[in-house]
Amino acid sequence: MKTEILEKNTGLNKQASRYPRHRQLIMKGNYAAAEAAKLCRVGFVPAYPITPQTTIVERLSEMVSSGEMDAKYTNMDSEHSAFAAALGAALGGERVFTATAGQGLFYAHEVLHAIAHFRLPMVIANVGRPSIPWNIWSDQSDSLAQRDTGWVQFYGESSQEVLDTMIQSYLLAEQLNLPVMVVLDAFYQSHTSENVWVPDIDLVDEFLPAKVPGPMSIDIDNPKAFGGLMPPEHYNKLNYTYWRDAIQVEEKAEQIARDFATLFGREYHNVEAINIGPQTKLVLITVSSITSTARGVIKKYPDIGLLKIRLFKPFPKASVQEALSVLPKDAILAPVERNYMGDREGAIFQEMQRALYGMPFKMYDFYAGAGGKDVPPVTIEKIIHLARTNPKEVNWVDIS
Amino acid sequence: MKPANDFLIRDEQVFSGALSCRGCGWSLLVRHLASLLGPDTVYVLPASCFSIISGPYPLAELKANVVHTLFAAAPATATGIRAALDRQGKTKTNVVVLAGDGGTFDIGLQALSGAAARSENIIYIVNNNGAYMNTGIQTSTATPYGAVTTTNPGEGYKKSWPKDLMGIIAAHNLPYAATCSLAFMEDFREKVTRTKNTEGFRLLMIDGPCPPGHKTEPGDSIHIARLAVETRLFPLFEIVRQHYKLTYKPESFLPVEECLKYQGRFRHLFREENKAMLEDIQEHTDNTWNRLLALEKLANVIA
Amino acid sequence: MLEIRGHARGGQGMVTAFEILAKIFSQLGDFQVQAFPAFGVERTGAPIQAFLRVAKKEILNRSNIYNPNLIVVFDESLLDMVPVFDGLKDQGAVLINTEKPRSHFADLGKTVYTIPATRISLDHGLGSKSLPIVNAAMIGAIGYLFDANLDILQQTIRKNVPAKPEANAKAAKVAFEIVVGDVFPNTYLHERMHAVGNNEEPVVFNFVESDDPAIGIEAPFWSMPLSKNKTGNWRVVTPKYVDRRPPCNHNCPAGTDVRQFVKLAGEKKYAEAYELLYEHNPFPGVCGRVCPHFCEQNCNRNEFDEGLNIGAIERFLGEQALNIPAERVPVTQKEKIAVVGAGPAGLTAALRLCEKGYAVTVFEALPHAGGMMRSGIPKFRLPDAVLDQEIQRIQDKGVEILLNKRVNIHELTDEYAAVITAVGSHVGTSLHLDNEEELSLDGITFLREFKLSGKDAGIKKGDRIAIIGGGNTAIDVARTTMRLGAEPTIYYRRTIKEMPAIAQEVEEALAEGVHIRFLTAPTAIGKNKKDQTELTLIDMELGEPDESGRRRPVPVAGTEKNLCFQKVIKAIGQRFDDFVFHGKEVEPKQGWLQWADDVPVFCAGDMAWGGTVTEAIGSGNKVAEEVHAFLQELEYHPEETLPDIVLPKDINFTYYLPIPKHRDRVKHPEDLYQNFEELSAGLREQDIVAESARCLHCGDCYSCGNCFNFCPDAAILIDDQGRLRIDYDYCKGCGICAEECPCSAIEFTLTEMAS
Repeated sequence: MKTEILEKNTGLNKQASRYPRHRQLIMKGNYAAAEAAKLCRVGFVPAYPITPQTTIVERLSEMVSSGEMDAKYTNMDSEHSAFAAALGAALGGERVFTATAGQGLFYAHEVLHAIAHFRLPMVIANVGRPSIPWNIWSDQSDSLAQRDTGWVQFYGESSQEVLDTMIQSYLLAEQLNLPVMVVLDAFYQSHTSENVWVPDIDLVDEFLPAKVPGPMSIDIDNPKAFGGLMPPEHYNKLNYTYWRDAIQVEEKAEQIARDFATLFGREYHNVEAINIGPQTKLVLITVSSITSTARGVIKKYPDIGLLKIRLFKPFPKASVQEALSVLPKDAILAPVERNYMGDREGAIFQEMQRALYGMPFKMYDFYAGAGGKDVPPVTIEKIIHLARTNPKEVNWVDIS
Repeated sequence: MKPANDFLIRDEQVFSGALSCRGCGWSLLVRHLASLLGPDTVYVLPASCFSIISGPYPLAELKANVVHTLFAAAPATATGIRAALDRQGKTKTNVVVLAGDGGTFDIGLQALSGAAARSENIIYIVNNNGAYMNTGIQTSTATPYGAVTTTNPGEGYKKSWPKDLMGIIAAHNLPYAATCSLAFMEDFREKVTRTKNTEGFRLLMIDGPCPPGHKTEPGDSIHIARLAVETRLFPLFEIVRQHYKLTYKPESFLPVEECLKYQGRFRHLFREENKAMLEDIQEHTDNTWNRLLALEKLANVIA
Repeated sequence: MLEIRGHARGGQGMVTAFEILAKIFSQLGDFQVQAFPAFGVERTGAPIQAFLRVAKKEILNRSNIYNPNLIVVFDESLLDMVPVFDGLKDQGAVLINTEKPRSHFADLGKTVYTIPATRISLDHGLGSKSLPIVNAAMIGAIGYLFDANLDILQQTIRKNVPAKPEANAKAAKVAFEIVVGDVFPNTYLHERMHAVGNNEEPVVFNFVESDDPAIGIEAPFWSMPLSKNKTGNWRVVTPKYVDRRPPCNHNCPAGTDVRQFVKLAGEKKYAEAYELLYEHNPFPGVCGRVCPHFCEQNCNRNEFDEGLNIGAIERFLGEQALNIPAERVPVTQKEKIAVVGAGPAGLTAALRLCEKGYAVTVFEALPHAGGMMRSGIPKFRLPDAVLDQEIQRIQDKGVEILLNKRVNIHELTDEYAAVITAVGSHVGTSLHLDNEEELSLDGITFLREFKLSGKDAGIKKGDRIAIIGGGNTAIDVARTTMRLGAEPTIYYRRTIKEMPAIAQEVEEALAEGVHIRFLTAPTAIGKNKKDQTELTLIDMELGEPDESGRRRPVPVAGTEKNLCFQKVIKAIGQRFDDFVFHGKEVEPKQGWLQWADDVPVFCAGDMAWGGTVTEAIGSGNKVAEEVHAFLQELEYHPEETLPDIVLPKDINFTYYLPIPKHRDRVKHPEDLYQNFEELSAGLREQDIVAESARCLHCGDCYSCGNCFNFCPDAAILIDDQGRLRIDYDYCKGCGICAEECPCSAIEFTLTEMAS
């Protein structure tokens, strides 16, 4: 099957001088992820299909087999094996990419821990979907369940952001020797074709240097044992250094985003504050595609703001606090959850709560889109309405 | 007679000090393997006794790279390492999985089958000592019929036959697979050499002596391994593209008791009331042997 | 609260022991208990720790024990490798599994108890040879420190050990009863156990604050050589290369280092092999031909296929003498020594003393030297030239032989500082039958007279000859008479199994046509009416064993029959000629005969011991040593202890291939008549080398490499000279090397017991 990437008509493209050294394409989110892997000169792609991720690996296999991408592509026997192969190749010193979704990520859970504790830099894309009963639609419980594996997590709002975040993520991963997961929403992003500015590969090269062997790289001439038994006191120290590096992510990611903006012209932050100021009474808190819809809804409400969380793990506490510091004391916060994590509050609420410790704001949680349930503007309106009228501490919207 | 000065290892590729029990098959196996494969090798270890034997932080037994990986994922990890090395032009570097029977027959079977079916250019070594010995002798699907383990204790000894791993492996149409015994050192070393010189996915299964697990005297490790071959409990054969060839045919038909009697895990079989079980084991052993002979004949017919 | 810390090796059962102890303590009163191991990755044999807390109140500490009241050491060898006594409280006590006296641990300055738990456990069959499980004995000993109830203790052990409940309970009881120490029960420990107040010592620590605690590990990889981990200290049983005595060496009456000369022959180092052989045997040419080869008979290879043809190798080496000149030994001692009898014993003794610098004179009654080798062994077995050459060599070395000198001790007392009598056994013994003297010949006399003077006793073609006896003399007589054309029949009262003659000689005699009738003995000899010699023979059967261990032949009544013969020759044994003692009644025995005051007299050879050439040679070697020691006033200790011999069970035959024995080239002439040519031509050189290669090297490391190849621990090294040695830094003592050593050149003994 030949995948069609619709290049916008020549006229449009010519006038699209907004981003030099870019082409504007119409692209699904999944293809944006695949395109990013190619632009980052990924050398190894171990793959295993799962809806709604499949078109990422299909696209990669197509690019590799056509010679468009210089990489080794291997069809693995499971996500567990795919991630283990990614681990192996990363140890071998290659830049690695794979993609998965839902069950695949759950299945790879133990490998995620191993990759992180091996301090292997890599980037993967996860197209969020929940677990059984079978459901292939958008949900963030899969990636949120991996919050504690030591992986950095970014949630992308658009295909453009997925592409750009992946490029930034390789740099972050390789600078800190940490693995990064870029999360897309199923269908609302993965299968949504939209305008994407694709940078020229030499531009990416200027931003992302070629992969060099890291401390955890196999060197035939200097043999080492990787990852064997580590007694308690040493394991404790190993965790200390992990912690020491992980807490730099927030600042480092911001720095990399700044550098990216300079070179590519598109600005990103760990969190994005929209209409948050002394006048703001209510702040919606969103991740991923719901953000765009919320942006649209709040335009007509001068006293409603929006906080988009882009870097979710490690949770950007300082960025959140800074963004909200301008709020009046009686402002209300309303996270919109597309996840159910088995607890009273959703994952965004939980993370926000600890970021807000010592701040005066009241927060009400809104479950709105689990299992791919659509979150149209009207749902956002309902949330706003509820939040402003008679919110319970935790609210399920649209379940009647 | 055994010739004088027949020192098989000329270039020791391990450091002494292995954390193996007395009379362990693992450390002996790896000594020879490493010397034959040389330093241009990356070993990939799923959880097994050898994960420990090869040295906890900060020590390393092998004079080559060793990657410890997840129990179920060694062939997959090896796949990634192979891919990386190949991309760097290091196509001659051996990538070798060292796994136990649990990591192979049970939890690692899917990844093994996947890598085998993909014809990954990997060597897979399974040290089959017939139980999860590292965790303290629990039953695996490689555990022999009749054996006692801590999860088949006392009268609850294992009452099912072990998996025919080599049969499963044969079905993958590999360029080379073989069984080996440390007691048949020359045969073992020849098979390792042939493995090294073959491309594609290759597998060797070694009968792994384990004194604590088999309840044997450590000094008897080799002796018992030899008896396992002589009694045909552990036949030595090769499989090339599904063609079987027995590499050793014992001259006399030693009864299985001759090997089982040295192993405490089979002690109960020698009670009068369990006589039928010994006969079952003998029959199963005979049948397996005859089947191998038939497969060998078949290979000749097809070839 | 009472805190106990245990130190043991993985596999000794300490973790189980501490669990059982917790259960025992809980039954000794209203106690809270807590027992747990320090989990490690260590394998069987590696050092481990376990902890036990006993208190009258709730135990509010789940951490390891750093300052115990009692330290229990399950394995003494840990003392050198682990800081076992670290943190022990001032008043604390230690209990050690050891056989050493308590004074050995006096430097500790603590209350010390000891218990030989390893021995107790071995006595009760607990654990394996390489790792005795000492936990029951240790529980017993610990129990006694606390005045624990033995019944509770034993019952708890029975219920909780994984195997052998009774043996474990018994081991505990033994330990309970024999634990060594001053104070029972230990009042301090007892007080700690029963303490109720909160009088725990305050926790003291140093808190170092650092701006940069960047002591972390960046990534989990490492590469320090594992050889830093010295696994040698796990070892309980130790392998060691040993030189064990092979059965060939052990069974050679001359004391020859058979194994080594065979090895040298195999390496074509013939001169070296000859010199080595000659050190014990100056008659290799003779012995190669006529010795029954006890070495070969006892060769461990007999259990596998066939013993080595050592005789042929020895014979071949004997021929090497031609290429090696004999050097005369200068006289350096003032004492002169006389030897009576120039047989194998006398000449060997003379040679040995000559080699030590004594002037030795040998007196021989016969006109030729050689003793029984000369007079009793037919030429077709031993050509004169071979014997002449070997005697000549002894003379060349400086021994003086005076022939036709029949002397007695009296004649020698003035001139000689010592006399060795080695007159052999040249006088035939009697059948005790009437008319025996006139109607029968004596076999040994017949052989001597035929050989020295050609006297054939009138035996002619077709004569029927009866030979009585079953020894070599009987066989040699029979084969000699065959060559004179007669038809000899040997009558022997036992069966072929008991026959003292060399088996191969019997076979050859039979092949030549000699008849042998077993289980038959003469009861009378006389003349019949035709004036023929008539022998009355009776059937025998084997009864109870006699003092020689052979079954005694018993006549079967009524089975007598008479047979006629031209000649009856008796060959039932010989005794010595007592002329040498000038009529004095002497019971000859090997060595110094304490009967004469005027001159020290020693005795050697057939007259004292043995019956074969090689035994006589051995006797000569020994008596020479004794004479030398006597004259130099040195201590003389003949070998008394039974050496450790390599037996077939010690050989790992897996590593040997069956190879047919190379047999002597024997030419049996078509017609024996008057043919006294030597029958055997020995082996050719290439066969000698090949036959030597059949040697199993019993008890002698020949660097086959098995130990090296099979060592799981890479703990066997090859040194600069290519020799194998065990690296005790790493050897865990598994015993595979000893088990897989083909030739039993590695011993494997309990380290503690050995030391």
